[in-house]
Amino acid sequence: MKIVEGLKYSSDHEWIKAEGKTAYVGITDYAQHSLGDIVYVELPEVGAKISKNSAFGVVESVKAASDVFLPVSGTIIKVNEALTEDPALINRDAFENWMVQIEMDDPKELDQLMSASEYKEICIE
Amino acid sequence: MNALKRTVLFDSHVKLGATLVDFGGWEMPVNYPSGMVEEHLYTRKKAGIFDVSHMGRFVISGREAVKFLQYVLTNNVLAVDIMQAQYTMIPNENGGAIDDAYLYRFYEDEYLLVVNAANIEKDWEHLNREIKRFDAQIADRSKELAMISVQGPESKNIIKKLFGSDFLTEPLKNALGILDYGGKEVLIARTGYTGEPLGFELFLSAGDAAAVWARLLDLGAMAIGLGARDTLRLEAGLPLYGHELGLDADGCEIPIFSCPLARFAVSFADAKGSYIGREALLKQFQGYQKIMERNFADLSDLKRIVRPIALTGRGVARAGCKVFKGDKEVGYVTSATMVPYLKTEGNGLESRITDEKAMRAIGLALVDGDIEPDDNVEVEIRGNKVAAVIAPYHLKSDAPPFARPIIYGVEAGRKFESAPDYRSKALNLLEKSLYNTRWRQSETINLIPSEQSHSPAVRLLSVMDPSFRYAEHKKTKSFYDYDVFYYQGTGFIDEVEHLLKEELKTYFQCAEVETRVISGQMANAAVFSALVDYKNRVNRKRDAVRLGYVLNNHIIRGGHLSAQPMGALRDYIAVDPLTEKTAVVNFPVEKDNNFKIDVEETKKIIAQYKPELIIFGKSMVLHREPVREIRKFVDEQGINTVIMYDMAHVLGLAGDYFQDPFAEGADIVTGSTHKTFFGPQRGIIAGNYRKEDHRYDLWETIETRAFPGSVSNHHLGTLLGLLMAAYEMNYFKDEYQKNVINNAKHFAKCLSDAGLSVAGDPSISFTETHQVIVRVGYGAGPEVANRLEDNNIIVNYQATPEEEGFTASGAIRLGVAEMTRFGFGYQEFEQTAELMADVILRNKNVKEDVRKLRGSYTNMKYCFTDDDVIKELEKLKSFL
Repeated sequence: MKIVEGLKYSSDHEWIKAEGKTAYVGITDYAQHSLGDIVYVELPEVGAKISKNSAFGVVESVKAASDVFLPVSGTIIKVNEALTEDPALINRDAFENWMVQIEMDDPKELDQLMSASEYKEICIE
Repeated sequence: MNALKRTVLFDSHVKLGATLVDFGGWEMPVNYPSGMVEEHLYTRKKAGIFDVSHMGRFVISGREAVKFLQYVLTNNVLAVDIMQAQYTMIPNENGGAIDDAYLYRFYEDEYLLVVNAANIEKDWEHLNREIKRFDAQIADRSKELAMISVQGPESKNIIKKLFGSDFLTEPLKNALGILDYGGKEVLIARTGYTGEPLGFELFLSAGDAAAVWARLLDLGAMAIGLGARDTLRLEAGLPLYGHELGLDADGCEIPIFSCPLARFAVSFADAKGSYIGREALLKQFQGYQKIMERNFADLSDLKRIVRPIALTGRGVARAGCKVFKGDKEVGYVTSATMVPYLKTEGNGLESRITDEKAMRAIGLALVDGDIEPDDNVEVEIRGNKVAAVIAPYHLKSDAPPFARPIIYGVEAGRKFESAPDYRSKALNLLEKSLYNTRWRQSETINLIPSEQSHSPAVRLLSVMDPSFRYAEHKKTKSFYDYDVFYYQGTGFIDEVEHLLKEELKTYFQCAEVETRVISGQMANAAVFSALVDYKNRVNRKRDAVRLGYVLNNHIIRGGHLSAQPMGALRDYIAVDPLTEKTAVVNFPVEKDNNFKIDVEETKKIIAQYKPELIIFGKSMVLHREPVREIRKFVDEQGINTVIMYDMAHVLGLAGDYFQDPFAEGADIVTGSTHKTFFGPQRGIIAGNYRKEDHRYDLWETIETRAFPGSVSNHHLGTLLGLLMAAYEMNYFKDEYQKNVINNAKHFAKCLSDAGLSVAGDPSISFTETHQVIVRVGYGAGPEVANRLEDNNIIVNYQATPEEEGFTASGAIRLGVAEMTRFGFGYQEFEQTAELMADVILRNKNVKEDVRKLRGSYTNMKYCFTDDDVIKELEKLKSFL
């Protein structure tokens, strides 16, 4: 199971990479592995305002559709169009292939998220 | 809490790293590490194996086994011959399904019923309750028998290697076989749940399952989990109990006929008598018929039906999503997901499956009866309406060995260029025709067995004045059967036809000949029509009773399509009400040589079915037909039958060097006059009925079914050409027939010596006819034939008796008659064999060598070429 240091993690298996006021968000390697082959990704509109722990998109496998939740509140400034063409990119590298880039409402919300080592522990159980 | 049940292959799944889930109380692999997408695609491209041991396997036997099964199943058990299987349903009184199931008959008196894992207890209870009233027994063999499914284009090769057996089952869906595995029996069925045209299910002793599973993996199959099993069956449009059958979204019973496979699974044969749900099903069937006939006024008998659905907008439909047409809710999705496929390049036979993956959101939906294919609808996915369309199907398997995904909206286009104005179009046509004629007549080696070239005299006569005229005529009783002609200017043709009849009677040594039919298939249709007419001659006040039983060569064994229910026989063959299948039975073939009829087994079939018509004749033919032996047998047994021999391919070989049909006891001979016979493209019917025979009426009926039954204008141009061809045949036949057969044997031997795999019996030099069959590898026929054509050698690809259909052809079919007529002898055929081996085995380019060889052989033999004849031909030419 791949876990990248320096990122923050949610208990729903999303990762967030902050860069000043903006951040990239995606799902973790653990998440893509349990989903299996990802066949479809639904991304939000640019400009959408999403509050913390609300769904910003959907990741679909052959068997089921899973909501993806924003770990902090923010506004969507960019979506990864490549995922529309080839959703399986997330399976190939869940950390390289971000889903959305947001402008965070309050970067302090990041402190409520898990570190890499803390996230590692909830994956082990 | 009950522990989940495990199959005998559980450890194998764990070892492979499968993701395990609870499926109906069983701990089963939903996928392996490769993932569902890979597993789905691998099955379509190569071969997948599925552990289906969790399904229920019940064996029914006993004196009233059939009676019991007719009562508890929807399908007609009498339609299941030994070594056949059948899709069926276990109905309830309301016409709903308790389960869908498959019935297998590996043994004479025992039936194996396979049911869904999730319904095992329910089915078992139901069947045990119902069987009490019958003298029959049911046993649960689910534990002792494991079940493994092997599906995909490589499945046949893999299983053949595993069992070391060249023969598995007949190449037909639902055919069964019994194989040997270390002294034990393994049952094999040509059935499956993926839509693959090549696919097998194995029933084997539980103790052997793990070893066989491991071997299958070694041989290149991939383990497939339940996830991909579902996407494969969905793509094939097959129902899943709990989705397309059973209870709907509101908890109401889905009528059996809402499931489109119902028409194959439900029978109302009288032989079934009363059975569970029959009345309800009959009503549903009436509703189904209304929907199929687009009679939407009253859909109360069947409100909804399952249809394939494809999203055209972005999204993924799932089971439960509502379907709308405009504002109206018209149904819901029963099964759907994103299904992968591999893209193809090219068109038709040349289409190539690439490695490029793509996805499509498809499914099945239970919708109102008036929603039809091509209707645009919308699917509601998480509150949003996404555009979709009702598709006719998602997958087609009529081009084995691959199942082909059919993407909605794709059309295969063909374009031919044409000049802008008609003068140029006409000119282009003439130029192209010249090129084509020069090419085939002087640059190619023509080895298509159905083809021959005609002499200049035959060709020219075929386009002279009679080709513009009419000469309808009919024997009239009032004039002692003198022919009455309906047109004027017909004196010449009258004489020609008369002379033609005499020549052909001489050729065949028979009593009567009918020459007005203009093709071989038309000749057959006229005979079938006459037989039906003759059969009903005493009572014409009701619908004609059709023919049955008819004994023929199955098309897979080389029988011509006109003798099959798919061809000319269709409108004349009866359906046997007991089996609900066409009343046709096929000639059995010898185990070691499936190009040869097994005479002893045929006698058994004739004794059992007492066919009223026996049709000899094949278009893939290496041996004489056993006419003499069968005539002797039917006469000894006192069986009243008509022996017909469709000689088409071998018409020009009738005689001492091949066989004499009428001398051997045939009643009727039909054929095309343009294969080994020298004629233009026409047909012929010959009969041995003399005026004194009480059956002479049948012959007269054949004549009237030819004219006016089949033709009005009987194409007098080629009729004239045919008379010249008949002269040529009668004059040159001794030399021609001997040379054709000797050349074929020599050619076959040379091809074999050159390293090619020649079919047939080497001890007789492979063939007794003008044909040679060369095996080039399963499915490789079309590509090899194309490659040979690129090298100016014209042959056709051929499916041999073990192959599923022409797209899976593993052989090429060759005939020596045309090149023999152009003067090819032993040496030239030997050279040809070498050139063919160069192309087939070494992929060389030999076009120039072929051109050179053919170029020296453009003068036709076996025709009249003296100076007087040439002079007359010139005079005729001046009238063109």
